[in-house]
Amino acid sequence: MNIKKLRKDFYFLQKKNYIYFDNACNSLRPDCVVEKINEYYKEYPVCAGRSNYALAEKLTTDLLGVRKNIAKFISAKEDEIIFTKNTTESINLLANSLDLKEGDIVLTTDKEHNSNLIPWIKLKSKGVIHKTINSNPDNTFNIERLSKVLCPEVKLLALGMSSNLDGVSIPAKEIIDLAHKNGSLVLLDAAQSAISEKIDVKYLDVDFLAFSGHKILGPSGTGVLFGKKDLLEKLGSFLVGGSTVHSSSYDDFELADIPERFEAGLQNFSGILGLGEAIKYLEKIGLKNIQKQKLVLNEYLSNELLKIDKLHIIGPEEASRRSGIVSFYIDDIDSHQLSIMLDRSAGIMTRSGQHCVHSWFKSREVASSLRVSMSFYNTLDEVKKFVDELNNIIKILR
Amino acid sequence: MFCFIALLVFSVLGIFSATHRKFAKEAFDCVFRRITFRPCNTGFREKVRGIILVKLMKRSSFFAKVFNKYFELIAWIFFVLMIVSTFYVGRGAYNFYLYGNCNGVNEEGFCLFDPTGENNKISPVAPTCGLDTPTVDDLSLANTDLDKFFFIDNNSEDTVVFIGCYVCDFTRKAFPDIEKLLEKKKPNFYFGHLPVKHGSDFISSYDYCAREDTSGDYWKFVELMFTSDIENINDQNYLQEVVDKAGYDKSKIDECLADPETLASIEQNIFNIGNTNIYGTPLVFVNNKAIVGPKPYRVYKGFLK
Ligand SMILES: Cc1ncc(COP(=O)(O)O)c(C=O)c1O
Repeated sequence: MNIKKLRKDFYFLQKKNYIYFDNACNSLRPDCVVEKINEYYKEYPVCAGRSNYALAEKLTTDLLGVRKNIAKFISAKEDEIIFTKNTTESINLLANSLDLKEGDIVLTTDKEHNSNLIPWIKLKSKGVIHKTINSNPDNTFNIERLSKVLCPEVKLLALGMSSNLDGVSIPAKEIIDLAHKNGSLVLLDAAQSAISEKIDVKYLDVDFLAFSGHKILGPSGTGVLFGKKDLLEKLGSFLVGGSTVHSSSYDDFELADIPERFEAGLQNFSGILGLGEAIKYLEKIGLKNIQKQKLVLNEYLSNELLKIDKLHIIGPEEASRRSGIVSFYIDDIDSHQLSIMLDRSAGIMTRSGQHCVHSWFKSREVASSLRVSMSFYNTLDEVKKFVDELNNIIKILR
Repeated sequence: MFCFIALLVFSVLGIFSATHRKFAKEAFDCVFRRITFRPCNTGFREKVRGIILVKLMKRSSFFAKVFNKYFELIAWIFFVLMIVSTFYVGRGAYNFYLYGNCNGVNEEGFCLFDPTGENNKISPVAPTCGLDTPTVDDLSLANTDLDKFFFIDNNSEDTVVFIGCYVCDFTRKAFPDIEKLLEKKKPNFYFGHLPVKHGSDFISSYDYCAREDTSGDYWKFVELMFTSDIENINDQNYLQEVVDKAGYDKSKIDECLADPETLASIEQNIFNIGNTNIYGTPLVFVNNKAIVGPKPYRVYKGFLK
């Protein structure tokens, strides 16, 4: 993989004075994605599905093509792919349409993103119980603990496949097998993993899976919910209205087939087309290559960071277990201040705070951390510059 | 506490710049969140500190280190300075309103609201040989015989004494406000003409004669003198016209002008006015309070009872 050449695909990366290390929030988009969005608005800014003129038909066909590509990307069937706005909406859709009853238990890890925590906590009003499986001290998944807590009441495991806090992935296949033996369904929040590991929903046998387009080079406001076809058929409806029904009368309606029945209202056509382009681009580069580059960068960065006094990396010390993420805090230095200074002094964009995982920070009594999340288009030079600048700043602050 | 301080400081700076307005808003959020006991995760304090530190770091890491170490103290110093300067600005505005000058009545020195010092300008009286130039504190009516002034008795408890010169820019600037005061508030009113500019002796003679002669309307004469162009007033023929317009009997005025006693009387009047220790015109006493320079109407009014 020729990174120098690849970087040319990203207009933003041609700007010399920026180093983008906030990829866990939102990846950069290659020019082809931006051009695809433009193409929609310039060439066929019309309605899909509902209209029968030629351009509408072309758009409908193109959107179907994207649905197929996304299905192929995760080894699913095209009618198992539901377009949403983002991971958060995908999870909310599921939480509001799964048939969970009083006394049912939903399990999550103890370091879920709020998007995979709040929707389940909210079900408390229906009598659904939310419980967490505590991680190991190094923040990795504790499978033994899971096997101990599984019981018939556990109806769903909703788990972050890879954490936005520390980059650690869970042993998804092992967990799913255990869960299925217990008769529990599994939802994987793949917001972070969709860009770093090949997801094969068939192999994993996962029941539901959610991810966002904007974290995998796609446009903002695009997301996907995968669900096994038979399970989707059984789901209740959540958002209803235009596009979700075959027909309606004054007092009744007939729901459309899946997946349309879950895609209420006019869709984000340009976004979906852009997402299709992003997936093509990802496949061209290869997820393995992406992951390889992330690990090279993480290895170097982690080694350098561990030389700094009073600095703690969240998660396991081995970089290879944290994908492209390094989240750390320094005992005597405020993370927000570090992040601001890195940005103002060298244009290095990082994230400081609690990364939407307040619960983890509260339970560990850690105020905040600085998160460096790298992607395949980041270079070793950028990481070196980060380390130098960080050391300079620490010297000032100590 | 930092958020509170920053809110105050940036709110004031925000009046002048959009960047500071943005910070003021952030500081407001920070304060608000703290007051309601929500976790303050704006990192506002760190943000401000970080931005300043980076700027310093680029110049000298030593200063950046010192700044970082004493950040809290420095923030307090700036806060105190800001409060003090806000107090002074407030006081300046108050003084400006009351006295037409930020520093107090008759005070000099820079005033933001009157940057060119218009309200303080005077036409200076030539210093008397061998005597110290008088100051504001020396101004008084105690040794001046007001009977020698032109007087309008309005049977009021307020007394205004107006001393000025017809060809002086700043007296002319003050005149409309003095006239307005006279019309609206009807104080007892004295007027004395003091010729501060050389070469205007004949003007003093006309003034003296118009005042002494009862055939015309002296105040009309004064009004005409202050409202006519200075070049015209410097022309004797024009003064004849003024006298005419004010209803005087020209022959009587001419007679007075030719009288050798006239000049001596004018001298006496000037001496009498000089007893106020006047050092420039216009000089106005409102109920014995001396006001030097042309002030806005509200200032004169402010000293009435
Ligand atoms: C693990 C994880 N889950 C869910 C989300 C929510 O994603 P979105 O904001 O795209 O809905 C994120 C976003 O950072 C995430 O990292």
